Formats: sequence, C-alpha cells, structure tokens
Amino acid sequence: MRLLAALATLLLVVGFATGARAHAALVSVEPASGSILPSAPKAVELRFNEAVTPGAIRLIDGAGRARDEAHVNAAGETISVAMPPDLPQGTAVVSYRVISQDGHPIAGSVIFSIGAPTATKPPANADSGLNTLIWLARIGLYLGLFVGVGGVFFARWIVGSTVGMGVSRAALIVGLFGATASLGLLGTDLLGLSPAALLTPPPWKIPFVTSAGPALLVAIAAMLAALIALFWAAHARMLAAIAFVGVGASLAMTGHAATAPPEMLTRPAMFLHGLGVAFWIGALAPLAVMVSKSSAATLPVLNRFSSIAMPVVAALALTGLTLAIIQLERLSALVETRYGLILSIKLALVLALLALAALNRFRLTPALAGDHKAAPALRRSILLEGAIALGIFAVVAGWRFTPPPRTIVPETPLAVHIHSDRAMFQVLVSPGKAGMNDFVLQLMTGEATPLRAKEATLTLSLPERGIEPMERSAELGPDGYWHVRKVELPFAGRWHVQIDALVTDFEKITLEDDIEVAPP
Amino acid sequence: MPKRSCLILVAALAASPADAHVTLETKQATVGGSYKAVFAVPHGCAGSPTVKIRVQIPEGVIAVKPMPKAGWNVDVVEGKYASEYDYHGNKLSSGVKEVAWSGGKLSDKNYDEFIMHTVLTDSLKPNTTLYFPVVQECETGVSRWIEIPAEGAGPSHESKSPAPGVKLLPKP
Repeated sequence: MRLLAALATLLLVVGFATGARAHAALVSVEPASGSILPSAPKAVELRFNEAVTPGAIRLIDGAGRARDEAHVNAAGETISVAMPPDLPQGTAVVSYRVISQDGHPIAGSVIFSIGAPTATKPPANADSGLNTLIWLARIGLYLGLFVGVGGVFFARWIVGSTVGMGVSRAALIVGLFGATASLGLLGTDLLGLSPAALLTPPPWKIPFVTSAGPALLVAIAAMLAALIALFWAAHARMLAAIAFVGVGASLAMTGHAATAPPEMLTRPAMFLHGLGVAFWIGALAPLAVMVSKSSAATLPVLNRFSSIAMPVVAALALTGLTLAIIQLERLSALVETRYGLILSIKLALVLALLALAALNRFRLTPALAGDHKAAPALRRSILLEGAIALGIFAVVAGWRFTPPPRTIVPETPLAVHIHSDRAMFQVLVSPGKAGMNDFVLQLMTGEATPLRAKEATLTLSLPERGIEPMERSAELGPDGYWHVRKVELPFAGRWHVQIDALVTDFEKITLEDDIEVAPP
Repeated sequence: MPKRSCLILVAALAASPADAHVTLETKQATVGGSYKAVFAVPHGCAGSPTVKIRVQIPEGVIAVKPMPKAGWNVDVVEGKYASEYDYHGNKLSSGVKEVAWSGGKLSDKNYDEFIMHTVLTDSLKPNTTLYFPVVQECETGVSRWIEIPAEGAGPSHESKSPAPGVKLLPKP
C-alpha cells in the first residue's frame, strides 16, 4: 500500500517537474530565405522563439544533390547548419524539422542561391497518411485514458463492483495500442520519416528528448494499472486511484495547454481538467449498462455520481476556460485561427453535453426514482452523451496539428544589418510594427566572429515625429544574443536605431541606421 | 521681478548642458612638450556622488605622474606601449596606461579637479584632438566619458558623453 502511494506521488512529481516547454516558431534565418549570395555561406542559422531540438535537417545543394555532411549545431534558440566548403553555384535548400519543447515538430525550408538561382525544389512533405494515423492514435489514447481508466475508477470507487465494464475494458486495450502507436508515430513525424520506419529504433527513441515520450509512458502505465485494477480485486481501489491520477499527470506533462506560461497555473489546470474528463466520461458507459439492467442498486449509484459530478463539471468548466483564455490571448482568435476554430467546435459540443447532463440530472434521474419506465430515455440520453464525448475527443485530437494563437509570430520580422570596419550588428525587430516590439541584437566583429561586449544599449528615436532618443539596455541571453524585450514603438515611420556595445571599460562601438516600422 | 529672475535661471540651466561633461581644463597643448591634464568633474552620475575616476592614457602620452589628492587614493596601471618612445635619452617601451583615483566621495553638489602631469611625444599628430577616455564611477551608476567622434564627423554630430579632449598644436 505504501509503495502504491509512493508511486502515485512519483507520477505527480514527474508530471510537474518538467521545465519550461511550449510551441516554437521560427523567428529569423541567416542568410535570409530567398537571398542571392555572391559566395557560399559558412553556415545557415535558424533562430526560434524558444529552445528547440534538431530533428531532421537536410541540405540539397545547387546541383540538386542531397548532402549529408551538413553539420548541425544546436545551442538554445539557435540551430546552426554548417555548410560544406564545396557548395556549388545555384539554389540550395535547407529543409528543417525541429522539435519544439511541447513535443511537437516544426518544419520548413530555407532557400538561398549562390551566384544565380536554379530550379532546386524543397523536398516534398512525406506525411500524407501520417497525420491521419497520428490523429487516430490520439483518439485511441483519449478513449483509453478517459473511457477506460475513468470507467475503472467509477467502478471501483463509485459503484464498488465491476458490472458493465465491457466498454471500459475495450477502451483500455484500444488506449494501450493508441499510446504505443502515438509514441512511434511521433518519432517518425519528428524525424520526417515514413511510417515504414516504425520498424527501426530511431523513431522510438526520439520522443524521449521531448516531454511527449515520458507523458505517453505515464499514460501507458496508468492504463496498465487500470487493467490490473479491473481483474485483480486485492488492491483494486488503490490501483484505480493511481491510474486516475496518472491520466491527469500524463496530460499535464506535455502539449500546448500544459506548457503555456504561467505553468504554475496551466499545469495544475490541465491536471484537474484531465481528472474531470476521466471522472465524467468514464462513468457514462457503465451507467448506461446499469440503467438498462435497471436493478434496485442503480438509483443510489446514480445519485452518488450526480452529487459528485456537479462540482467536477464546475471544475472542468473553470479549468477549461482558464486554459482557453491563456491560449487564445484574444477573442477574435476563436474564429480567425484553426486552433480557435477547433476550440469553438469543442465548446459547442461541450454545451450540448452539458445540456444533456443537466437533462439527466434534473429530469430523467428523478423520474427514474418514481417510474422505471424512464430508464430507456435515460439510457438513450447517456449513450448520446457518450457519442458527443467521442466527437469532442476527435475534435480535440486535431489540436496536435495547430499552434495555439499565443505562439503565432509573424514569419518575417524586421531585420537590419549595420556594418562598419570594426563591427557588424544584426538587429531583428519582431513583429516590426508600431506597438510592442522585441529586439534581438547580434553583435559580431568586422571578421564576423562573435563580439564580446560588456554591455549593449539600444537607442531609438523618431525625428519626424519629434520623438527624442529613448535608451534601453539589452540583456545577454543564453543564445549569445542581446535582447531588449517589450519596447513600445508608438508610431510607424522611419525610426533611428543606435546600438552601443561596450567592448572594454574605455571603449565602445557605436553603429546606427534607420529602420522602417510598419503601421500595426 | 522674482518671476523674471526665475525665467533667467531656467534659461541658464537649459543652456548649460555643454559644460556638464567631464572635461580637460586646458584645451590646447603642444606636441613634444609637457601637459598638465586637469580633469574637471562638474557633477556625479545622475545625482549620485562620485567615488572613483578612471582615466585611460592614450598611446603616445608618457611620463604620467598623477598628483596625489587629499582624501583619495591614487593608483596606476602600467603596461606596454604600442611603440618605443625617447624620453631624456631613455627608451621607454612601457609605462602608465591608466590612472585611478578612488576611496573619496565627491557630492553631486560639489565640483572638483583631478590632475596629472604628462608628456606628449612627437609621435602624436598635430592639429588633431587627443582624447583621454574617463570612467566616472558613482555610488549608484557609472558615467562613461568615452565617446570619440569618428574621423571626419562634423561638430554638429554632438555625442552624449564625449571623452575629454585636448587640441594638439604643432611644435613652434
């Protein structure tokens, strides 16, 4: 018993101890995609808005050959792809697939030409059938976690017997397959392989560099525990509880919602949301069976479930609303982004589900007490609830393919390159429009080696509107770049940018240039 | 009447920023001669009292001897020169590269001077300005008087915290 309690605690700790993770987006590329260069660059640098892990990175040179000697170097937010020295003239393509911290892949291509452009094409995306498989596996996983584990928890804690567990047992089997398949499919997706590669080890290893691998293992463990609790009465209640906690922990460990800042809020919210779904949806199948059998024991169970379900549904709504607000950032995203559309459909289905639940709770369950003929109506209503829940799983599984609005960054932030004999400064402004902007300063010497500065300051002015220089000091990030975050540029126009890099106590390098800031 | 004097005071304050830098008192010096560099410190760093003054000695300036100052410690940092200089028949290849006064406290309300004796070698180009970058450290904050205008930049391009400079005159 003590061991089981310790296991449950461990599940919880693993669930919350993973670091900051979210959905990455490409911020800048050097050389810029589409550029024509006089000679081959030493390296192609991809900068993301957060640390990423390289998955598959491929180089196709100007002669159309795939080159495998491109050396990939990842440091925090930046991935640098060293170019072979003998890159021929023509258009080269670097296609990348990196793993963002929430365990999802980000893919794209950088195209640049040496000398003159040629007709090199980026490699075609090979994932035609893969996304469908990933989606199906995820629905299976949800079935196992919510219908399966939730059903076993209902049987062991609310009913006290394993009557009508057929659906839950089947869901657990489906869920175990779904979770295992998700693991391998995630790997093939991250590495940009075809489903045939599932027979080789790499796609099974790569999920574990992300939070998704451990989360799936926790899900598998939870479903196994629930299966044991179904057949083995000795520690069934304890095992069912551990499996139940595991559902929440698995969901809180990975994905868009659990990894959104502030994690102190989103992870517990996701955890509770998962528990609530499992409690509610898991009970539906066994309840439907019990109602159709319509024994004397059904009514007390129904009443017990209803009394707990009320606060659970309230917690579900509250946590769901919290997560939605954090992910969307603004109401218009509900219809303007794919993520928001999925959420809108989910909300509509949830409203239907709530209406049915209210009908069951306030009309059909009391009716059952007086008249056993009400049973078929209640049973139909519960089955309909189950069908809607399945629909919600199918819709929510689609979130895997859409970035949440909070992570969407414009693809081409404003960039300016300032050059003198002594130094080269690359300045990135995102989004590069009037309003709040983030600046990234990349300081290099005249020989393009990193410039070690003690301090860096950014000074901005807009002479045409009479805005006097405003000075902000930059912070050195772990990526080696200097960052100035949340700079308010009140107007569009030709802003004057001055960067001072303090090289020694007595010496600083000052470079300046103008940038054209677009209207919001 | 008091109103008008108030206005005059405002005008005077507004016009004074040019003098609010750390500067050299003697604005001209002759190449090949000695130069008494007097650094005038008119204020602290944004109101905070000055606790340390560091002066970088430019290349071609030798035989540096800081004047001791009551209430302040004076330290020098020695190092190699970029080239050798002849000084009273001796070849000098190293010497003082930085002078620092520390341990004192100069209130923002007061003015003070920090003095050193130097020799300007023949290697310096006449009709240019020789800059002595100064780092003024305060109880809170630092002011760096280290900006040296790029060659050819006009006087209209006024920097915010220029290094104190002295105009070099040719040998008579």
